[in-house]
Amino acid sequence: METILRKDRLGEWAAKLGEQAQVFAPAFADEIWNFAPLEQGTEIAFEGINTVRSAKEFVFPQREVLYRFQLSKGQQPEITQTLPADGAKVVFGVRPCDGRAMVRNDKVFTCAPCDPYFQTRRDQVVFIGLACATPPSPNCFCLSVGGSPSSEDGLDILMTELGDRYHLKVITAKGGEIIDRTAEFFEKATEADSSEVEKAHTAAREYPQRTLASMEKVAEGIKRNFESPQWEELARACLGCGACTYLCPSCHCFDISDEITRQSPVAGERVRTWDNCQFPDFTMHTSGHNPRETTGTRLRQRVAHKLLYFVENHNMQQCTGCGRCITHCPVGIDIVKVANIMEEGAGA
Amino acid sequence: MAEVVAGLADTGAEPQAFEPKVVAFLCKWCSSAGCDLAGVSRLQYPPNAVPIQVMCSGSVSPLYILSAFNKGADGVLVSGCHPGDCHYLKGNYYARRRIYMVHQMLNFIGLEPDRFRMSWVSAAEGVKYAEVIADFVEDLKVLGPQRKLKAKC
Amino acid sequence: MAIIEDIRAKAKELLESEKVRAVLGYRRSTAGILAEPAFIASPADVDELVIDATCVENLALYLVNEKKRQKGEREPDTRPLAIVAKGCDARSVAVLLQENYISRDEVVILGVSCGNSGVIDERKLNKALRGKQAKAADFDDAGNCKVTLMDGETSVPAADVMADRCLECEVAFPQVSDFFYGEKVTERDFSQRFTAVTAFAEKAAEERSEFWAHQFDRCIRCYACRAVCPMCYCDECVVDSTNFVVDATTTADDKANRICWINRSACTSENAMYHMVRAIHLAGRCTDCGECERVCPVNIPLRLLNTMLEHEALEAFEYKAGYDPEQPSLISSFRDEDPNDFIR
Repeated sequence: METILRKDRLGEWAAKLGEQAQVFAPAFADEIWNFAPLEQGTEIAFEGINTVRSAKEFVFPQREVLYRFQLSKGQQPEITQTLPADGAKVVFGVRPCDGRAMVRNDKVFTCAPCDPYFQTRRDQVVFIGLACATPPSPNCFCLSVGGSPSSEDGLDILMTELGDRYHLKVITAKGGEIIDRTAEFFEKATEADSSEVEKAHTAAREYPQRTLASMEKVAEGIKRNFESPQWEELARACLGCGACTYLCPSCHCFDISDEITRQSPVAGERVRTWDNCQFPDFTMHTSGHNPRETTGTRLRQRVAHKLLYFVENHNMQQCTGCGRCITHCPVGIDIVKVANIMEEGAGA
Repeated sequence: MAEVVAGLADTGAEPQAFEPKVVAFLCKWCSSAGCDLAGVSRLQYPPNAVPIQVMCSGSVSPLYILSAFNKGADGVLVSGCHPGDCHYLKGNYYARRRIYMVHQMLNFIGLEPDRFRMSWVSAAEGVKYAEVIADFVEDLKVLGPQRKLKAKC
Repeated sequence: MAIIEDIRAKAKELLESEKVRAVLGYRRSTAGILAEPAFIASPADVDELVIDATCVENLALYLVNEKKRQKGEREPDTRPLAIVAKGCDARSVAVLLQENYISRDEVVILGVSCGNSGVIDERKLNKALRGKQAKAADFDDAGNCKVTLMDGETSVPAADVMADRCLECEVAFPQVSDFFYGEKVTERDFSQRFTAVTAFAEKAAEERSEFWAHQFDRCIRCYACRAVCPMCYCDECVVDSTNFVVDATTTADDKANRICWINRSACTSENAMYHMVRAIHLAGRCTDCGECERVCPVNIPLRLLNTMLEHEALEAFEYKAGYDPEQPSLISSFRDEDPNDFIR
């Protein structure tokens, strides 16, 4: 289904949706763009090319309580599972790269055995995508990893800007449901609109982006150069911080720990928090041995997971080319450069 | 039965007075002995302070102080020997610098300055120890429960 | 800047004479306009070196990281490392020397003066350019920043795009160096030292508390601030979830009973603990290179916290970090006249 929304009615529509769901949209605060709850009376602004934090936190938050536990004297430990109960959410302005990352996250969390925490959140959120129309950020490379500025994968609705109107394409039943519910805001999309959308999408694809070789070539290159000393060279400046993976829309590693809220008798929560393959303690063994002690081996893990292992396991690259890890790396480590060097032979 | 319910309702309407929790890091050689003296002298002072004996006020890591607030302390006290009296000669001088910095930082991030205190209490100053605690508890009662740094997830 | 030729020549000379094992400098990056750290080990590569207003990183960090790296090597190369250092970076090196983390013969400092300017704040630059993409940028002598765009050039006032730390910098040249490039400018045209801290301290306590609660709440605990800091060299940090220092004498109990001071969850109270522990640990050691604030992906004003402690150290103890590698450190020294009136 395709439909048209006048730009000046976007706020009204969002407010209407807000009656039944929490609405989020990109907002500029503290000098950065991030998704934030839409406050009454504020306009939705789409000027930021992409948010700093990705849309993955709507389905995979940094902290997820798995269950609560408590001991009482003379009784069995009491364990209560806590499935997320935040209710329905609608997220505006999700870029196609974040949408495509959602498909990757689905692969990880919902292929058997299905993760109930992820699934519950996924079922409750509607992602309204926004096709990129402006020149991409200098580190965007979605076209090189099989995506596009107007990709529909993983989104529920795709919005495309057409002058003073938005063209909305319904992609999933979940997306269709919210459009049907608020049908009064929409006009019928005509053939002309569709061709205009096509034109806009084509134009967005024409902007120059950074380039990577084909999926197979990159994967093969990383495999071929797995033992290359280049990894250490490329990661020489790496700090071992978590900026790249915490901001990545498709990184999904986590750690599970217990947080004690009462000492005696013990009560607390078992929580799942993001973890990060770039931290030195990620693979630290109890013995003190660390199989990925150097930054080079850790960089290789990150790049190979995105561009080799995921390809082998799921026949798709995990990286969706949003460029966040490049833009926010404190020392300019660049996954495109790394992948290209590996693909071209690494010189050693 | 009605009386019981009414009684319950009464206590509900009149909440219990707030009793602040104080974590007191006391050096083994002076303040802890001063605290002991206050006890054996049967001085009456508020029972709100949990004394933790440390070897020297200079051995109190800022982490202990922050952690006490994180775990829900309403006030934290660090107490050591008077300048010049340190069992380890200069431990309390180091403590003074470090604690000063912690104090300024907590103040800067907006914690009430009265929640964190340092005192010099010698082994002979049982009375002073009782006073320090009494003053502290009184000030904390005015401030109410500490929520700014308390763990909440 | 013309001094780059001199630096390249010196780097070449040091490498050719095999006096140093590598030169830590800056080179152009593929990731954006900021330069990236370069480890130049061959005289043939010295032409990669650059020095301009985009050379923001504090390379003193790599003296620490390379030292840690070498611990694992069987036959480490014991020759010194040469390092290109701005004023604040050289002060970091001085603190590392003061703390005996490195010794003077392990490092050759190629000191670079920032003159009457400093480095660029990329966020400010992006804001000033209103969506246009810069390819290169550098300050000129006339108080402007010349920016090369995809299509042409533009110029913005230097003070608008200069990093906050540089605006407040008093001594923009290294005090400790083996070779020195540029001019020692002592009269700078920008703000006074501690302007931001003093202004913030004057706010009401409630306002300060709300401000920090908001800032700490946004932290994602990526630890970029810790990782980028040359002073954060502990082998094991309170926020780490495991022991790093494990040797033959570490018992299972030692490992199992590791105290969890700070939960892994990125929530306000735990983040506050982390940042306060870090700040207090840097008191009297931070040289205000501003890297923690720059690398923060969510833009938490960490400099404010660190410079506040720097300010206190100066006001209360007349202590400045990084100016003299021979002086005793802030918390390993005291004076009889230290503040005492806050104590009961």
